Parts: sequence; C-alpha cells; structure tokens
Amino acid sequence: MINYIKSENYRLLRKKSLYLTTAICFILITAAAFVLYYFNEVDAHFPYGTSSFFYSNVLGMGVLIIIISFVYNATLTGKDISLTKQAVSFGISQSSIFWSKLMLTLCYFMFVCIVGILLMIGLGEILFAKEPETTGNFLIASFNMVPIVLSGFILIHTLKMLKISDIYNIIIIVFIYIFSGDLLYFVFRQINGWNEFYLFAPSTQLNDNLMSFMNQSMQLDYRYWVTGIVISVIALFIGAATFTKQDIG
Amino acid sequence: MSAVIQTYTLTKKFKQDEVIKPLNFSVEKGEICALIGKNGAGKSTIFKMLSGQLTPTTGEIYLFGKSGKDMVQAKRRMGFMIETPVFFPDFTAIHNLEYFRIQRGVAEKKRINEVLEIVGLANQKKKKFGEYSMGMKQRLGIALSLLSSPDCLVLDEPINGLDAEGIMEIRRLLIQLNQEKKITILISSHILTELQLVATRFVFIKNGVIVEDVSKQLLDEKSRKQIHLKVDDTGKTAQLLERAYEDIQYKSLPDQIITIQNHIEEAGEINRLLIKNDVFVMEFRVEALNLEEYFLGLVEGAGEK
Repeated sequence: MINYIKSENYRLLRKKSLYLTTAICFILITAAAFVLYYFNEVDAHFPYGTSSFFYSNVLGMGVLIIIISFVYNATLTGKDISLTKQAVSFGISQSSIFWSKLMLTLCYFMFVCIVGILLMIGLGEILFAKEPETTGNFLIASFNMVPIVLSGFILIHTLKMLKISDIYNIIIIVFIYIFSGDLLYFVFRQINGWNEFYLFAPSTQLNDNLMSFMNQSMQLDYRYWVTGIVISVIALFIGAATFTKQDIG
Repeated sequence: MSAVIQTYTLTKKFKQDEVIKPLNFSVEKGEICALIGKNGAGKSTIFKMLSGQLTPTTGEIYLFGKSGKDMVQAKRRMGFMIETPVFFPDFTAIHNLEYFRIQRGVAEKKRINEVLEIVGLANQKKKKFGEYSMGMKQRLGIALSLLSSPDCLVLDEPINGLDAEGIMEIRRLLIQLNQEKKITILISSHILTELQLVATRFVFIKNGVIVEDVSKQLLDEKSRKQIHLKVDDTGKTAQLLERAYEDIQYKSLPDQIITIQNHIEEAGEINRLLIKNDVFVMEFRVEALNLEEYFLGLVEGAGEK
C-alpha cells in the first residue's frame, strides 16, 4: 500500500490541474480581499470593507468549496482510474487503491484549505480594520464547516470510485448540501420528534454556521460533526465494500 | 514440470450469459502456450480473471501453486498485458514506467531503460504516450509487463497493431525471454501464423470452452499437409475416393476443388485412380495447412466427411 501511495503521489505532483486549481483559489481569495479593500478606500461609506464580510464570503460558499474539492479528488479518480487494472494485476488490492487515493487527495485538499484559511486571515488582518473576535469566530466557523466539507469530499470520492458520472455526482452533492434541509423540513415538519431533524441536514448547518458568524454568536457545535461523520461513514462503508467487489476489467 | 497457472472449474457469468464454461486449464513452467479463439471466445475474460480484474463466478485459480490471498505474492512474479495497454497519456514512457516502478517496488531505476531497450522504445522514451502509435503502445505494454522481471508473462494480443518488422521483433523477443530467461508465457492473438512460430502448445477456445489442446509437435503433424485437387467432376471424384479409401477425409469446396486431409503419402495412387476413371484433373498438388486453417476447421466445424 505504501508503494501504491508513493506512485500515486508521483502522479499527483505531475498533474497540472492540481497546481492550476490551487493557484486559481488563492488568486480569487486574494482578489476578493483587494477588491473589498479598494472599494473601502475609495468610498468612505462602503459597508463591506470589513474582515467579517470578507470571511463570510468563504463561510457562505460551503457548497462551492465542496465542488472545488471535486477537482482535487478527480486528480486521481478521473480518467486515470482506468490504470487501476494494472495495479490490480500486480496484486494490489482494490481496497488499498480505494483508501490510498482517498487519503492522498484528502491530504492535499486539506493542506490547500489550511493554507487558504491562513491566507485569508493574513489578508483580513493586514487589509481591514481590526474587529474584536472576528478572527476567532472565523476559526470556529471554519472548524464547524470541516466535517461537512470533508463529508462532501468523501462522498465525491465514493461516487467517483464507483464510476458514477460527474454530472450525477454534482447533482447528488448539490441536492445534499443545498436542498436537503428544506426537504427534511417539508417531510418531517408535522411528525413529533422528527420536526427538528432538518437541523442536522448539511445545508441547514452550512446556513446556520454562516448566520451565527454574521450575528457574532459563533460557538463550536457537535451537530456538525455528527452529520459529517454519519455521511462520511455511510459513504465509506458503501464505497469501500462495493469498489472492493467490483470487476475492474 | 510444475504448473505456473492452473484453473479448476473456472466459470464466468455476465448476468445470465455464461461466457466461460467450467474451465480446467494449466500452463506448465517453461511453456509458451498460445490461446487461440475468435473475438468473444473468452480469451480476454480468462486473462482478466487470472489477473484479478474480473472475479470468477465459480472455480479456483492457482498461480505458482498459490490461490486466494496467498496469490498476491505469486502475482508479483507475473507480468500481465491485457487488451490495449493503458497509461497516462500526458506522461512520457519514462514517467509512466517510473510510476509503475515505484508502485511495484522495483529498486533499480535503470530497469526502466533496460525494458525500453528490450522492446525497442529507447529512442522514443521522451515522447508522450498520447502521441504513440498503436504499435508503440503495445511495446510499452510489454515493457511494463517485463518491468518487475517476472517469471511468467500473460499477454493478450501483444502483436495487435504492430507492423511486420515489429511482429518479427516481438516474436524474437518472446522466444528469447522464454529460452534465455526461462519465462513462461501465455499468449493470445488473432495472428495465428505468428503464434505457430512462437508457441510450444496451442489451446483453442470457442464460446468459453476449450475445444482442442495440442502440442506444437502434434499440431505440426495434424496440420502438416493436404492434397489439393481441381477436377471436372467433383461428385464422381468423391465417389471414387470413398470407394477406394473407407476412412478418407476430404472437403468439397467451390470451383470444383476437393481437398484431402489424409492418405497424403498415397497422392500418386489417388492421381492414377482419378485418371484411370476418366476424371479430368486440372490441378493436383500437396500443400501444407497452416494453423489458421486448422483452427478454423476446428472451431467452425467445417464439413469434413
């Protein structure tokens, strides 16, 4: 498995899409900060030239971050997946392939996320006026978002490994991370004991997280982790079990 | 001799379609075994099951005497090339092989240049795989199968896409690997005449069933010769032949042609028999049957007497 991870790392580091996506993300973050800074400088009444507004842009784009994670996962699970048959022929188990690709792409994605957060905090601190507790709240909000975003990444990985087409993959992600809360609310609203079930939906949690940040009432919440872990475990259980039994040829 | 590859009642079903019927098959150490069959006969399915790309519906596979989880180590002694080789199109031959060298734990980097040299791609190693011709892709596939210095090669249609010179080179290479490195080879191809020159054993497969399994010696005997006749009256010729030789095996073909598969040594007497009975013989020659004709005869059940 170690050799397989090393070889996939060799491949990953030679993927242009990895560098391109990372560069675009960092450029957009930087550009957003400088645009807000510029308007704040030229217009004394510009209301959005604050670090909290700057941070809220990222916190409000949970689904976009999950879709960006799709690109990172696809670096090893896109067309390259056809090469797995060579690895299987050499005796590398399908289980090792599934977990190796997940671990490697997840590590790179998390690394980029951490650098992105640090870049944002750096830009926020340098370009905008100091706001008490904003950075701390942003870190708490980011921490709450982690399980939701990771569950999205893991779900994408499972769907990619099971060769679900990209369009269905995106539709499933959009449904779960944008519409699931509304659906659960609609279905369970009149059933006692279940009428607050929608609060555990990832879409509801992403919205709540943003609202708490905007209201400056941010606090760590275990429910994000419950939702993230449940989605991740189900996706991994189905993905690993199905992919391991799947015919590659 | 010991079996490098062995299968016991191996079957594969796709939905309700049983593409491989219970298959008991083995490849002995040191052999070059040719698996011959038309498209859809089940050759690639067998190879994919051997490599682990497909899971057999029933039955067992033993590689170097190991099965199940123990087979993992045995697989590392094998080199597979199944169907069209797949590589990263944006990688050069060197990068592609480096990826697999790392994956397969091959310690020496120089092995990459060695295998590229062996398959004749040393001059094209910096070209991207996506720019390779079909023949070059096949060669790189063979290079990959040789990368981990295997004891057994399983090659599915390795000659596909190669030009005449390339075919000769690969044929020479396979014989060399077998004789000098003692590598056992299981190979399939549609270019049957090429296998006739390479293989030491021939296994014919039709609709997932092995229909014939012969040594090169036996095949050469079986396919050695036939008498080719062109006569004015094929009906009368057939009557005369059947009357004179009870066990005669012949085929009546269009254009007044008859081919006789046995009694070759009595060609002169057959000729005399026909002339004596006023059959006008326009052509009479003894010709060698090639493997392809033999194979087609077997798998199509061509009308012999």
